[in-house]
Amino acid sequence: MSKQDITYGTQKRHMGMRAAKTLSNTAVYIILAVISVIWLIPFVFIVLESFRCECHYQVGYIIPQKWGFTNYIELFQNTDFPKWYLNTFIIALFTAAIQTIIVLCMSYTLSRFRFKMRKALMQFMLILGFFPGMLTMIILYRVLKDIGLTQEHAVPGLILVYVASSGMGYYVSKGFFDTIPKSLDEAARIDGATRAQVLFRIILPLAKPIVIYTILTAFMAPWGDFVFAKYISFGASAGMNVAVGLNGFLSLDQIMNKYTLFCAGGVVVAIPVVILFMCLQRYYVEGVTGGAVKG
Amino acid sequence: MKRILAIALSLVMVLALVACGGGKKSELAGTYDIKVWCAENIVDLTKQQIEDFNKNNEFGITFNATVEPVGEGDAATQMIVDVDAGGDIFCFAQDQFARLVQAGALSKLGVEAGKNVKESNDADAVAAATMGEDLYAYPMTADNGFFMYYDKSVIPEEHIDSLEDILADCEAAGKYFAFETNTSAWYIASWFFATGCKSEWTTDADGNFTAVNDTFDSDAGIIACKGMKKLLDSPANLSSSDGAAFAKNAAVVVTGTWAFTGIKEILGDNMGAADLPSFTVDGQSYHLGSFKGFKLMGVKPQDDANKGAALHKLAQYLTSEQGQLERFNAVAWGPSNTAALAKDEVQANTAIAAVVAQGQYATPQGQIHGSWWNIAKVIGDDVAAANDDAGLKEALDNYKAKIDALFGMTGYIFVGAWNGWDNADMSVKMEDNNGVLTITLDVPESDFMGGRIVTAGTWDTDLGFAQVTEGADLLNAEAAGDDNNIVFLAAGNYTVTCDTTAKTITIVKN
Repeated sequence: MSKQDITYGTQKRHMGMRAAKTLSNTAVYIILAVISVIWLIPFVFIVLESFRCECHYQVGYIIPQKWGFTNYIELFQNTDFPKWYLNTFIIALFTAAIQTIIVLCMSYTLSRFRFKMRKALMQFMLILGFFPGMLTMIILYRVLKDIGLTQEHAVPGLILVYVASSGMGYYVSKGFFDTIPKSLDEAARIDGATRAQVLFRIILPLAKPIVIYTILTAFMAPWGDFVFAKYISFGASAGMNVAVGLNGFLSLDQIMNKYTLFCAGGVVVAIPVVILFMCLQRYYVEGVTGGAVKG
Repeated sequence: MKRILAIALSLVMVLALVACGGGKKSELAGTYDIKVWCAENIVDLTKQQIEDFNKNNEFGITFNATVEPVGEGDAATQMIVDVDAGGDIFCFAQDQFARLVQAGALSKLGVEAGKNVKESNDADAVAAATMGEDLYAYPMTADNGFFMYYDKSVIPEEHIDSLEDILADCEAAGKYFAFETNTSAWYIASWFFATGCKSEWTTDADGNFTAVNDTFDSDAGIIACKGMKKLLDSPANLSSSDGAAFAKNAAVVVTGTWAFTGIKEILGDNMGAADLPSFTVDGQSYHLGSFKGFKLMGVKPQDDANKGAALHKLAQYLTSEQGQLERFNAVAWGPSNTAALAKDEVQANTAIAAVVAQGQYATPQGQIHGSWWNIAKVIGDDVAAANDDAGLKEALDNYKAKIDALFGMTGYIFVGAWNGWDNADMSVKMEDNNGVLTITLDVPESDFMGGRIVTAGTWDTDLGFAQVTEGADLLNAEAAGDDNNIVFLAAGNYTVTCDTTAKTITIVKN
């Protein structure tokens, strides 16, 4: 066998490996493409429907025959949607702010302080967290109704509901705080910093990803909540959030006139969440995994 | 201080004068804050109607009304959850009526109002708003039933009376026949009503269900299933009652007046509406039935009696001939008020005409147990899955067993002459003690003092005269017959004990 042949042989073997790799890659990509198409179709469908102007009811085709913004215009002019949107935005904003503060304080305390019943408290909250929140719905409704925070005044009521149990969601951020060396705290304390100063000056700047993660999750939750919002707004349009309000468009007497408006509403609802997500995306991944490494 | 008192006193006097001098003003006069719940498409109209009422009523009532769009389906559910927070006046479909009365969400109509309603409305509509002897709601529409919309370009006029012809047309054109058979008991019942089956429920004055006469599980029921199977087995079958199905290749949709405007928009001049077709089984033709339903308007009980009375005045106004006609003109809801229904413009509406045409085959939707809707809705799927008559029978048996369970109709009963041979009568239930059944009962004098031990709700038994081991001398052996009946020789009080494992029966005269 000449030298050339050997080279040729090796080359052939290389080609084979590359081909196999290409083949497996192709297969993987095809599977991924199929999955992503399946996953994306509903979203694309909703966006297309929202721009369809020829009629308001569901049709048997996907691509609109007439494009335009009439659904969006009608949504904002002829329905209570702006009110619902504002409600949800206010709820999300307040929830995000208050919940973030509570969660961070809670995590910091449980991570850095040692006090009696600390372990017991953590376990108690863990067990409490196993119960589905829906169980408390009836009693919460009664309480809120008695203090007058239902129906038209559902917005503060809902903020209260979302924020009330937020202290229990400390796990991920506590895990993250635990990864920050304690010696940093100690150094700051020796230099005369108070506990609060340690949290705000030392820990928080280091824990930026987790702060952002907490804000994001707290901000996003109210946009999709339906069950609580439905009960607490109890038929009063002025107190509804987007999910409850838009759901009304799907009722028997409205769906034929409001279906495309519903889709337009869905798109508008997605916008703030998408923007926020895009801006803060890189922190988000860090935040979620950060706590897990050494949690 | 004195001055304030003087002013206050004189104010009271002036007010008293005004109150007396008003003449026509009644004790109801005043301004009330109220909340009204109605369907989204009549919100604006209702606001307008309330303003008209404020201007024109003779009682001096002014309503400061908030009208919220809470559809009929939602309104009832919400009211039951929290009556207190619900609308003062709300609209609902009649199937929710019994639940609402039970929940204390409806206030009774006064004698005068009741008389008015009875005189001016369709008798079935009045029955739908009646519980026991009393009226609890105001009939608002009589169009809450279903019929058939069809595409004239696919189904020729001469075919619309026959299910088989329509299916053939749909199959030939590659179009769908939309009939909601796999999710809705309301539509499924249509097939059973066609063959004369019944599901009649009895309530007491508090809205509690006490008995049911349900004949779906019968030979007629099997015929109904066979008819339904024709549709279910056809490639044209589509389970939907959504008017938008016309935009998705349907040629026929079975639905109601609420879809009228939408369908008109899709089909334009090709839109046809008619009563449901007939189907043929074993050479005999059966016209599809339907529910004839009503939408009602209710007034929530109030702490303030005057406010309650004022609300009733408003509800009367909103459901009066004029109110119903206004609603017809705005959104084409079919009136329950007989005078309004007789108007030419109402009669000229195709959808209303179809409701009226279907009306003669329709069963007024009385009070139906809330669980029935879930129990009956599976029939469609069960029928589709069945391959032969035995399968159909099994589907209906399952249905019947669930209905019986609603009334605790389980275990054995000693049915016979003493209870009028009513096999659903749980007062003759035998006490079950680990398979040993006992009952003590009075047997009154009659020609045939017979009976048998059966599973509640059925006639199935293998426990009768032949199994009697003790006390056979008290019985008439000759009268037992092929049915193995237990026939007493004389009237009196007896204790019957039956061991279901050993299959022995002991009878003792007390």
